[in-house]
Amino acid sequence: MRELGELDRPGAPDSPGTWDEHVDELLMGAPETHVRDTDADPTRTRPAAPSTPAARRGTADPVKALMQRHRELCERAVDPLEIAAGLEAHGVTDRTAARFRHRDVFSLAEEMYARVSREADTAPRPTPSPAPRVRADWVLLSLLPGALCAATVAGLRLTGGRVRPAVAILGALAVALAVRAALGRGPLGPRSHPASPGTRPSGTPGSTRVWTCWLLAYALLGDDLLTAALTGVGPGGLPAAVRDLSTAPVLALTLACAPAAWCAHLFAAGARRKLTASRGLADFTAAVKPLLLGAFALFLCASAALVAISATILREPAAWTTTVTLGALLLLARLLTAHGFTHAPAVVLGAASATEATAPATAFASRLPGCSFLATPVDTVVAAWGPAAIPAAACSVAALILLLHATRTLTRASAHAIAGEPG
Amino acid sequence: MLVRIGLLTEGGYPYVSGDARLWCDRLVRGLGGHEFDIYALSRSQRQEDEGWIELPPQVNRVRTAPLWTAEDDGVVYGRRARRRFAEAYGELAAALCGGPDTGNTSDGADPSTIEADRFGSALYGLAELARDEGGLVGALRSEAAVRALERACRAPGALAAAREARVSDLLSVAAHLERALRPLSLDWYEGDGLGSVDLCHAAAGGPAALPGLVARHFSGVPLLVTEYGVPLRAHYLASGADDGAPAVRSLLAAFHGGLASEIYRRAVLVTPGNTHTRRWQERCGADREKLRTVYPGMDASHFAEVGESPEAADPDTLIWVGRIEPAKDLVSLLHAFAEVRKEEPQARLRIVGAATGAESEAYLGHCRALAAQLFPDEAEDIHAVGDNPVSFEEIGGPEAPTLAEAYAAGAVVVLSSVVEGFPISLVEAMFCGRATVSTDVGAVVEIIGGTGLVVPPRNPRALAEACVALLRDPARRERLGAAARARALELFTVEQNVEAFRGIYLEVVSRCPVSEVVLDGAGEPLPFAVPAEAHVPGRWTHAGMRVVARGGPGWTTGHASAPVQATPVPAGEGAR
Repeated sequence: MRELGELDRPGAPDSPGTWDEHVDELLMGAPETHVRDTDADPTRTRPAAPSTPAARRGTADPVKALMQRHRELCERAVDPLEIAAGLEAHGVTDRTAARFRHRDVFSLAEEMYARVSREADTAPRPTPSPAPRVRADWVLLSLLPGALCAATVAGLRLTGGRVRPAVAILGALAVALAVRAALGRGPLGPRSHPASPGTRPSGTPGSTRVWTCWLLAYALLGDDLLTAALTGVGPGGLPAAVRDLSTAPVLALTLACAPAAWCAHLFAAGARRKLTASRGLADFTAAVKPLLLGAFALFLCASAALVAISATILREPAAWTTTVTLGALLLLARLLTAHGFTHAPAVVLGAASATEATAPATAFASRLPGCSFLATPVDTVVAAWGPAAIPAAACSVAALILLLHATRTLTRASAHAIAGEPG
Repeated sequence: MLVRIGLLTEGGYPYVSGDARLWCDRLVRGLGGHEFDIYALSRSQRQEDEGWIELPPQVNRVRTAPLWTAEDDGVVYGRRARRRFAEAYGELAAALCGGPDTGNTSDGADPSTIEADRFGSALYGLAELARDEGGLVGALRSEAAVRALERACRAPGALAAAREARVSDLLSVAAHLERALRPLSLDWYEGDGLGSVDLCHAAAGGPAALPGLVARHFSGVPLLVTEYGVPLRAHYLASGADDGAPAVRSLLAAFHGGLASEIYRRAVLVTPGNTHTRRWQERCGADREKLRTVYPGMDASHFAEVGESPEAADPDTLIWVGRIEPAKDLVSLLHAFAEVRKEEPQARLRIVGAATGAESEAYLGHCRALAAQLFPDEAEDIHAVGDNPVSFEEIGGPEAPTLAEAYAAGAVVVLSSVVEGFPISLVEAMFCGRATVSTDVGAVVEIIGGTGLVVPPRNPRALAEACVALLRDPARRERLGAAARARALELFTVEQNVEAFRGIYLEVVSRCPVSEVVLDGAGEPLPFAVPAEAHVPGRWTHAGMRVVARGGPGWTTGHASAPVQATPVPAGEGAR
């Protein structure tokens, strides 16, 4: 039965000083040394000790003295019951309250609550909640995919023959694992968002992963495949197209993991700052929108620079539009997923993948007898703008849709609810 | 009469590490004639991992739900559900902020009643939404919730503190409310869940009683609430410690206050564990007629031997037993003992107890140092090894192998706390038949009731005088000890606790029988489907007896197929 008493055990007061002073010092009359007992008590008739401290220091207003003593409690209290709870935790009982000419602690607390001066009520400055910090783990992890991809590309360049497929497969696996690790923590990780304390971070839906892989695979060999399909190369030509991977876009994208993490970090930290500074939800939205667009633009610049660098190093033509739009699409999808909006990214990525898949599919299908009309739209587009136009269009439209979605959802305050909130 | 009781707990029974699990266990075991369905909310992953204690056979079923996490079920509301949510949540927010009413209430009603009605109707509105549509967890986290809170805070007439709320404050209030309202989304209220029990007994107030409120609203199940501590008070003490913004603290205080008063308003009976709790309940709006103080019960058998042999005591020894911490004010006790020693040089003081936690350890060290300073070691003659008149011991040590023996060793048991709830050590001393001197804190006066001496807290001189008076008067000591033991055996045993609840259960069930509306195959209410005999006490309709009336004669059921119970009962006030 021990724990029952503990249930109602009031918390210990926080300042140790209060333990050593005497409540009775504050009382008007000298506290008589009385012993309550139904049994007749011989000591009762003894006069009170003459030199108790309270006898020397009487005040005209005992409640004021009590308020002085519990000043912090009175100033913090949001209602009289809070003062009552605090007083009881300091050992004030109804018997004590009776000496302040009050029926019980509650009415004493009400008087104290009513009398505490609130004009000088300086609302404490909102303490900014701890901003997400730059930590070595996610900074290093965000560099890892790029490094591994560079190593793989170098391996592919240096090796030949039968070792090459093995290097390619191993490299792809290593890069995939590294990307997974990089997205697992830090500003891009799902843990940085939990919409509410105590909730399990919702994982990335499987479909989002599949579509992401498909989009990357298309960036790697889609254009060559499409050209091969349209120009009517025989079955022997396909392996040649596959062999001739365009590695520059993928290298640029994996390298872009680092700027993506930094942009997400800047956005999260800025949003956290605005959260404490804003007075209203509309203010917050207005303040966060430029922040989101700024972070996004920063990422576009950074990824464009990376495309240029990787194209120069690998001596491949720089596929600006396809790579940058694909990077933008993936960043937005990741940001939305990390903030708990998993539905829209999955749908939009799926739509973009389907569009990209349709192009080579119709091209191949047109070879069937009587189906040559199928290739006409793709043929027209490719003839006008080249094979890169199809992924570029798909990705840019998808990225634009996600950007519009993000400016509506990621600028809401509820998307930035702070993890670990008391509650 | 067999009563089916839904026992509601939060972070307690049947978890191994639960609060008050001992009390619940004794209650369930003691009332073997009834059936118990246990509905437990767990407080943490660790608590769930530690498992349950062994359950007796009268426990029919146990349903648990985590309060520390909530899975969003992914339901996205349509327009009508969104509007329902916004209305109910807005009403709740307005009730918390004390803003103007958005609905129409009759003029001239008591403002506090209106406030309570708004809180209640908002709560039940959310519960109904969760039942009809699901997806409440996601909605409570959504932007719509935060926006409703903002609107309520900015409304004219809102609390001054609420008007200052910033975005981060709104978010933390919304997060806290989401957590507190998680019980509304449980699937406990359907079919043969809480809706089918005869009575809900909440083992604590606050979140534990919330499912009981919802079950009462949906199915008219009477709610009985037992509180050994006041959750609202605990909330104030906890929120005083953290450094939240005033807006957050005032809104959350309003929520917990509103919840407490709604629970007290809707409960059929409230059983506080002591007068202190009772005062808080009355303060929060509990009707006096509903309050029945039921003291916690303790196992007296350990102390029977000691209690019946008062002569085992050393006539010069004072005993203090408890957990060592600053609230126990051992410093004052040591000063008092110094005074005692001036009058009674033979007196000894034994402090039995352990310190847990860094603060308590430091306090124990401080007390030891003070004792060494105040009382030098002393010996009988110049050849003997000296000893200090104050000793610090732990239960299980050579001096005090069991708790009962620790009490047995002393003539007078002293309690010097400045803050207490329901001091167990005092009751144990009473079981042991020891005279006691205690400070006037918490429930002490109520427990001791004239069978011991009570002095003001933080008054070492008074404490010393009372101790000396008892040390000098063995006859009085014996008289007080015997009276204390008789009182404790009357009031604080497990048996009285269990018997009190047995009586309360029967009273509640007889006053508020759950009226089940039984429908026939066509969905029409079936007359005489539940005969009056079903409510007669005693289990006289069991299979061995041939009583016609149980299901009613065949012609009353007509040609319809077997009756089905209507769920949910179109209920609320009407069902009672």
